[in-house]
Amino acid sequence: MERKSVLIVDDSSLARMMVRKIFATRFPDWNLVEAKDGEEALSLTSDEVLLALVDFNMPGMNGIELAEKLMERNPRLLVYLVTANIQERMHQRAESMGIGFIKKPIAENKIAEILKSFV
Amino acid sequence: MNHWDAKHMHAGSDDLAGPGSDDEMFFLTEMEEDALKEFFNMGLGMAAASLSQMVDNEVLLSLPQLKVVSYAEATRMLVSDSEEKLVAIRQNFTGELTGTALLIFPGAESLELVRTLLNEQMPLEVLVELEQETLQDVGNVVLNAFLESFTQMMSIQFEFEAAEFLKGSGSFLLDISSHLAAQRRALSDVDDSGGERAFVLMMDFKTHDEEETQRTLSGFVVLLFSQHSMEILKRELKVILANL
Repeated sequence: MERKSVLIVDDSSLARMMVRKIFATRFPDWNLVEAKDGEEALSLTSDEVLLALVDFNMPGMNGIELAEKLMERNPRLLVYLVTANIQERMHQRAESMGIGFIKKPIAENKIAEILKSFV
Repeated sequence: MNHWDAKHMHAGSDDLAGPGSDDEMFFLTEMEEDALKEFFNMGLGMAAASLSQMVDNEVLLSLPQLKVVSYAEATRMLVSDSEEKLVAIRQNFTGELTGTALLIFPGAESLELVRTLLNEQMPLEVLVELEQETLQDVGNVVLNAFLESFTQMMSIQFEFEAAEFLKGSGSFLLDISSHLAAQRRALSDVDDSGGERAFVLMMDFKTHDEEETQRTLSGFVVLLFSQHSMEILKRELKVILANL
């Protein structure tokens, strides 16, 4: 069976390493695809990617702009914005697009909760 | 690039403490610097979320630029080529990490922030009257959120003193003897052995409504750490990175 893939987009290496560690220790059956910005994410994503964890504040396009493009390409993709900056208007805008939120610093149990929907 | 950016951008990457700088013990590796940036980003994100609740509006942040510089460099960056009066909210923190956090705005722009916060048109004299109190509240929210990002990520505990409002030139605002005097009021044992380093973060932020009018408010967050605190910070960064 093909491994499920998760796309992690963050300009911070530390942030990507933290998510990588959670997946490596708790969910090793997931394949990780990492990108440091929106452009790279768009070049690396594929139909195998089921979940995208996207930083909001990045050079180039922001997380919501990227999410929009990713979802256009792959409508079944589940996208979560990963940010410490959760504001009401942003929340509403993201929710209306079907994008979820994960608060930084990212918690292991939040990932576990999201991955339940893929079981 | 706006006036404020242009004025401060001349402190470029040459200013980063690195190999060959006069004090190599403060050299941060690429990963350590990346980690610090991420903590600061989280802090700014939390601060923006809190500010957004205060102004009942979306607060948009630019990507902050981080410089790790000597105290003298930080002063140079702020003093720059302008005699412009600045306002600052100072918050000292004490504990395992001891230092001073400053949120600094150009004086004229700070009144605009007060106007936005109070969400109504007011005569200038009333705005000026409310400036200190309002900015102290803003400083409290921003700097607390900012410093909390450190405590979330590191096993470091520290406490914040009450925020203070300052107004003056860049060199006045960064006057280290004034910060040490303030710390002394709170602590019996202050490390004033010299070698202070500063983290300087430059950022623009604007409310959603201001985006439509192309107005932005630019500011700095400056963190001044003693030599001892810098060593603790570096040690904590190493521990975090080693565990990943």
